[in-house]
Amino acid sequence: MGDCQSLGDCGDERIARLYEYLDGALSVDDLKDVREHLEGCEECTHEYDLECIIRSVVKRSCQEVAPNTLKTRIMSRISELRVETRHD
Amino acid sequence: MSTSQQGTEAVPEGRETEAQQRARFERDALQYVDQLYSAAMRMARNPADAEDLVQEAYTKAYSAFHQYKPGTNLKAWLYRILTNTYINLYRKRQREPLRSSTDTVEDWQMAKAAQHTSTGLRSAEAEALDHLPDSDVKQALQSIPEEFRLAVYFTDVEGYAYKEVAEILGIPIGTVMSRLHRGRKQLRELLADYAATRGLGTAQKETDRPAAAGQGRK
Repeated sequence: MGDCQSLGDCGDERIARLYEYLDGALSVDDLKDVREHLEGCEECTHEYDLECIIRSVVKRSCQEVAPNTLKTRIMSRISELRVETRHD
Repeated sequence: MSTSQQGTEAVPEGRETEAQQRARFERDALQYVDQLYSAAMRMARNPADAEDLVQEAYTKAYSAFHQYKPGTNLKAWLYRILTNTYINLYRKRQREPLRSSTDTVEDWQMAKAAQHTSTGLRSAEAEALDHLPDSDVKQALQSIPEEFRLAVYFTDVEGYAYKEVAEILGIPIGTVMSRLHRGRKQLRELLADYAATRGLGTAQKETDRPAAAGQGRK
């Protein structure tokens, strides 16, 4: 089991950092820290994997395809708009 | 993350006819109809409302299309309009833009402090989560408070940076981070429950959590 101290308090800061790492919100230096830490810490790696899976599952599940008619509806609505008075 | 600038070309001001603008809008903006519809499905209660919402957002976007700066992120611009449209259409009674009464620094700190006890998941469950049907995942997402849901959606599904999500939702970056944190925590717990209900994995949830762990939930 690795030591999480390099990421601050083991637990609190650790996961917050991992989230920011996954969100691409860390500086280059912090990025390196997290990466190096992940190499040696089982617990963090587990957390990381879990978070990755959740994100990919959520992403996968939310890919909707708009009904075919929606584009047509939108364009016809926009054409109507053209005929109406334009304010700008 | 895909670049949204593709297909958008700078158009000299004043040289575009209405027909040309309409064609440009159709080509550049309408290509995101599936993505806008997906986001609208996280806002509206049903597909019909989601369609109306997307149509209304596109209509507004077209009216304001002259304000859009070619070369900037068109999809994010459309998402901002979608969010505003949603707030105006469905949330008229509430003046605050998707603001939760629980958005305080203290909440964020508290949630952060409770973080390491929040997962309740074991390795086997990671595998189980991966096998959850889309319907479960969507339902779980729909179950968390809307302001958390949209922060999670735009960050995790669309891959936007905190700053971009802040712009889309019209809230400060710190609020985005706090909502993300709490939203992900709740989502994770729900997904673990779904997985357990379906008998996926053998993991059990931790029951010996400190009392503070539950305080972030409403």
